[in-house]
Amino acid sequence: MRLHRLSGDMGILAGAFVLLWFAPSFASDYALQISFRVMIYLTLAESWNLLTGSVGLVSLGTASFVGLGSYVAFGLANHFGAPIPVILVVCALAGAVLAALVSPALFRLRGVYFTVGTLALAALLQLLMVNLPTFGGASGIFLKHDPPPLASLYHDALSVALVASLAMAICARTRISVIIRAVRDDEDAAAQMGVRPYRVKLAAFALASALIAMAGAVQAINLGAIEPYGAFGLQWTIDALSMVIIGGIGWRLGPLAGVLFVVMLGEMLANYPEAHIAITGVILIVLIRFAPGGIVGMFARLFTRSTRLSSP
Amino acid sequence: MNAAAAPLLEVTGLVKRYGGVVAIDHVDLQLWAGTITGVIGPNGAGKSTLIGMIGGAVTPSAGHIRLGGRDISRLPASERARAGIGRTYQIPRPFLDMTVAENLEVAQYSMAPLIGAGPARSARIELLQLTGLLDVAGVPARALPLLKRKRLEVARALALKPRVLLLDEVGAGLIDSEITELITLIQAVADASVAIIIVEHVLRVVRACCARSMVLNFGKKLIEGPTAEILAHDEVASVYLGTGGARQSAPAAPKDEAAPPPRDPGSLSQLIAPRSSAASRPPLLELQGICAGYGQARVLKGIDLQVHEGEAIAILGANGAGKTTLARTITGAINPTAGTLRIAGNDAAGRPAHDIAGLGIAHCMEGRRIFPTLSVRDNLLVAARRVDRATAQQRLAAVYELFPILAERAAQGGTSLSGGQQQMLAIGRALMARPRLVIFDEVSLGLAPIIMDRLYEALATLKAAGMTLVIIEQDVDRALALADKVYVLEHGIFGLAGDPRDIADDPRLRHIYIGTAD
Repeated sequence: MRLHRLSGDMGILAGAFVLLWFAPSFASDYALQISFRVMIYLTLAESWNLLTGSVGLVSLGTASFVGLGSYVAFGLANHFGAPIPVILVVCALAGAVLAALVSPALFRLRGVYFTVGTLALAALLQLLMVNLPTFGGASGIFLKHDPPPLASLYHDALSVALVASLAMAICARTRISVIIRAVRDDEDAAAQMGVRPYRVKLAAFALASALIAMAGAVQAINLGAIEPYGAFGLQWTIDALSMVIIGGIGWRLGPLAGVLFVVMLGEMLANYPEAHIAITGVILIVLIRFAPGGIVGMFARLFTRSTRLSSP
Repeated sequence: MNAAAAPLLEVTGLVKRYGGVVAIDHVDLQLWAGTITGVIGPNGAGKSTLIGMIGGAVTPSAGHIRLGGRDISRLPASERARAGIGRTYQIPRPFLDMTVAENLEVAQYSMAPLIGAGPARSARIELLQLTGLLDVAGVPARALPLLKRKRLEVARALALKPRVLLLDEVGAGLIDSEITELITLIQAVADASVAIIIVEHVLRVVRACCARSMVLNFGKKLIEGPTAEILAHDEVASVYLGTGGARQSAPAAPKDEAAPPPRDPGSLSQLIAPRSSAASRPPLLELQGICAGYGQARVLKGIDLQVHEGEAIAILGANGAGKTTLARTITGAINPTAGTLRIAGNDAAGRPAHDIAGLGIAHCMEGRRIFPTLSVRDNLLVAARRVDRATAQQRLAAVYELFPILAERAAQGGTSLSGGQQQMLAIGRALMARPRLVIFDEVSLGLAPIIMDRLYEALATLKAAGMTLVIIEQDVDRALALADKVYVLEHGIFGLAGDPRDIADDPRLRHIYIGTAD
């Protein structure tokens, strides 16, 4: 039965992927640019939802891996002229390796200390980049060659988002989900069931970090120039977090709903940037107070309530 | 049992220290496949610590645990589970948001990630049938009542296909008929390849399931042998009933430190609230039909009790009978679900704890609850904050007179004291509020006989000075000697009540404690 649901997810994802693949042939440049942003944010939000919603690790380290992906991608492109698929694979590896390297220190910390630890990691990497002239220092690096056209980058972002969504479908629909939820609900009881909580957390952290690093790489190449304050900026972390909370933390469709909502809101209020930030903040506060399950959780509740009312 | 074969689980010289406290002191244990062993002993004897160390949740300070010859003493809990040790938690810890079936899947898929879905499902159905959970397989664990949660604990441990199964108080909080079901379940899961340890206060379970038992007392193995012999043993009866301590230590000459100093009754009056002068006054404490519990576990099922000024009441009962719950209900730490609670005529049911303390009820809590960061003096002064400095100092002097050792240690940290001194501090702190009634919850638990005598002398002095006392005790003899009236709690109701002399001779008292009444 569970495999049925997994193949159902796969079917929907494949259909959406094929449909969206052909978007550049009919969509305007503006629509393509928005879609590109949706794909990048979707990858970040899915990864954060895996860590925080599913495994229960509240991470503020998204920016560390966005920045890591950006710098690794520029290094590979500028020094080796590497093609984008190679760049993405190396960035994914780099993200996973960094996650594995810092996990002995981070997983020693539980709860809020883990969260602060991930925040410190982003700050540390940012300071490191600012102070290392090899990596361009505070002024950053430019891409030596012209970036590929938007349509091609859009396909890359779409592919990364597909990989992220597939990974999440596998985590949510197979027996892996039972293990992940056990670790989130009660680590000690899970260990007593033979689950190795450290390995589960490390695997999720490495997977999320690999996905975030790939998104960071595509995003940086699209920009054509990176500098530490942007690449390792706290804004990446806040964006991913607020999108998932608005969409519905822990829900399968939460990241997608949150990303679409926030990106559309941003476009509607594009001429009033201050109002955009303020309104997002107010929405966040109102949702946390009245609908902690976010948009998806709210609809799920309304739906079950109405079905309950209609049944005798 | 084949004694010549190597034991499946072998525990040698196991020690667990928490700071200066030794919870488990050089315990040895051997388990053979196909046997069920009972572990009994008073609260705080170290039973759950022993389970925790075998299961891997608690790291031993010294000693070795070998499973089938392999030393597993330093392995984390997950590796022990994989090596074949399944345990249950005393307070069930299911994954609340998962269904019952998914709870079992955790164990199945962590042990065998690639097991086929079909075999896994039929194994689950078999386990659910065995534990009587098949009809709730799709229900979230959160919706299960306590008994079913305990069964889920057992089912989940069995899903590991363990070679050693550790059942930690799976019978606590269950009523008689539920215990019968539990015994049937344990007998059904026992087979020739598994060794089972049952830690239990419900001795009926031990008697029905365990061929052999060991008794833990103060972290040490007191005795081990066939269960029937163990339960008939005088020493075991005295660990539970406390008769040995009182009889042996009464004639012993008290040590210098413990000698009660001559007292001026005037100083004690600093600690005892003046009696109300009304001619026909209501009882100081009155309970009618009080029911209370924790979530699914109903502990008190209709308690009636009257305490008049100047009386000393003893409340006895086996572990899990509801004694501490009764104390917590009176002092407002938990709210009764039914019944009336009056303090000096005022309705006090559902009022917060500090209100009830304001009505003159002090609670000397089980486990002492000393503030570790405060000195002995500050621990005492905390309880007398609403009075002026001079009055507080007078009360402090009166407490020091009752327990001179506290004056000597006044500047030390509260938890640097020995267990007995900490208990004196807890009693002194309860008195600092100058209460009208003090509830003493298990003041003798975990203390050496000589210290218990010293504490009971202090309680006798307080009673003689006119204090109203409610004493909750497992140590029957000492409580009977002090009380004017005795109530025996059994399964949340008073099974026995009356004059201490009559109760002492009542064979039902022993039955209630040891459980032969079944």
